Amino acid sequence: MTGKGPILAIAHNTLRDAVRNRVLYVLLFFALVMIVASALLSTLSYVERERILQDIGFSAIRFFGAGIAIFMGVGLVHREIDRRTIYTILSKPVTRAQFLLGKYLGLLATLWMQLAIMGASFWLVSGISGAPFDGGHLTALGLVAVELAVLVSIATLFSSFATPFLAASYSLGLYLVGHLTRDLRAIGEAGNSEVVQSVTVWIHRVLPDLSSFNRVIEAVHGIPIPNTEIGAALLAGLAWCTAFLGISVVTFARRDFR
Amino acid sequence: MRVLKGMLIAAAVAAAIAVSQVWLPEEPVGSTQTGITPDPEWLRLASFGFDSLAADYYWIQAIQIVGDADGAAGRSREIGDLLEVVTRLDPWVDHPYRFAAVWMLDDEAAVRQANGLLRRGIEAHPDDWRNRFYLGFNHFFYLGEREEAAAVLEPALALEGRPGYLDLLVARLKVESGGLDAAAAFLGELIRQAPNERAQAAYRESLYEIEVERRARILDLARERFVERHRRDIQSVGDLVRVDPPILRRLPPEPRGGKWIVDEFSGSIVSSIVGHRYDVKVDGTNRELLRKFRENSRSSEGNS
Repeated sequence: MTGKGPILAIAHNTLRDAVRNRVLYVLLFFALVMIVASALLSTLSYVERERILQDIGFSAIRFFGAGIAIFMGVGLVHREIDRRTIYTILSKPVTRAQFLLGKYLGLLATLWMQLAIMGASFWLVSGISGAPFDGGHLTALGLVAVELAVLVSIATLFSSFATPFLAASYSLGLYLVGHLTRDLRAIGEAGNSEVVQSVTVWIHRVLPDLSSFNRVIEAVHGIPIPNTEIGAALLAGLAWCTAFLGISVVTFARRDFR
Repeated sequence: MRVLKGMLIAAAVAAAIAVSQVWLPEEPVGSTQTGITPDPEWLRLASFGFDSLAADYYWIQAIQIVGDADGAAGRSREIGDLLEVVTRLDPWVDHPYRFAAVWMLDDEAAVRQANGLLRRGIEAHPDDWRNRFYLGFNHFFYLGEREEAAAVLEPALALEGRPGYLDLLVARLKVESGGLDAAAAFLGELIRQAPNERAQAAYRESLYEIEVERRARILDLARERFVERHRRDIQSVGDLVRVDPPILRRLPPEPRGGKWIVDEFSGSIVSSIVGHRYDVKVDGTNRELLRKFRENSRSSEGNS
């Protein structure tokens, strides 16, 4: 097995393994309940119900998507070590890098399938409630897919050297900080201290800016998202995935399983 | 001994639970509105990208205040703080801006806060005439700032969906802010741009009223001089030329041949054809509303 073969085989196995996981279905179930319940919750307002419905729907997709990514991602390598299947796999002509990339792609495919199911439910609920669903919504969902790809790569990185609990803590921390960096920068720039200003600018530069994948408000209000910003977000997503997976591969290659 | 220790611990725990239960509020969460809302910038950080959901939550809280059995009276500040959060987290919301204009009317400070929100609404929705309309109304009606009202409303005349009366309202407001010449010039421009003869006729009617107003103001000045000189008011407009020496050699002609009379209700000099002065009218119900609003503003100023 050389080249893409082993990666795809491992990805396929990871996908098959993931869809057997009951916890995945529980999370998906809650996400779907939340999306459907958004139609009820929106009736709490006497105006702009469509906006509230879609805010809740999008939030459910992003929240449960991130939850599934972190929950599944942090145990990615640990499960294989725990079940000792990693020894069998790595004894075959499969490099550690191929193993890790296969696991990553398998989990990403699982997540994107979940996202497609949640997106379809969201579209259906929006349609029944008379809320618009257009290209802007699809773009926002597409960017959620990119955000999940980055999040899975983060979880894969921490999973490559830490226990599931620690990997989950690190991944969650980086996810939350990733959503803060832009606002922190803005707060720093609004302040008087030059030190705070440069610190917040560097935090924004060094850490992933996950808010660039969050275009929910624009989609819900029908505000066009500039193509340059979509392109920049896609490029950033690709770059961060490559970076995190690169570090994962290097870390995993040095890991001693004994 | 051990049993006694256990019983003491159990009693202490039971007492702690009992005390805490007594201290807990009896009303369900949400009904005890304290008026404390988070700073929008910190909330944006704490929402970790779920800003729009947080905005929805605070919007629903604002609605609940208005729908409360006690009503929204006296709670403008609370509503304003909630809407500040809503509109800072999601500036593209639509209705909350006008909600502020409708429900934040306790006193002058509340109206000014609502105006701040409406200005944000205008920035977010520059093509919507309604936020400008509400802002202009607040300036004119509650704050008595006609110049600002005219300035806010004038750009709305170019916006789609605006009501037909808006241009004439702006013309009337301009009389106060820029004088009759400004209003006449504005109407001249409206006549030039009018889409049909019917609209042109309506604007010409307003131009006629402005001319009447211009002449009525001359009579007002003469009336003031009359009062200064004779320590009494005029019985009729004709007194201005009949007294010796006359205040005016002759009365300015009413442009359409009408007469000048002293209106028995307002006491103002008006044309017998027009019957009122060129101004934005406030009817009796609204006058009462305005009186209450001014009273509230005065008392809250006194308190502060």
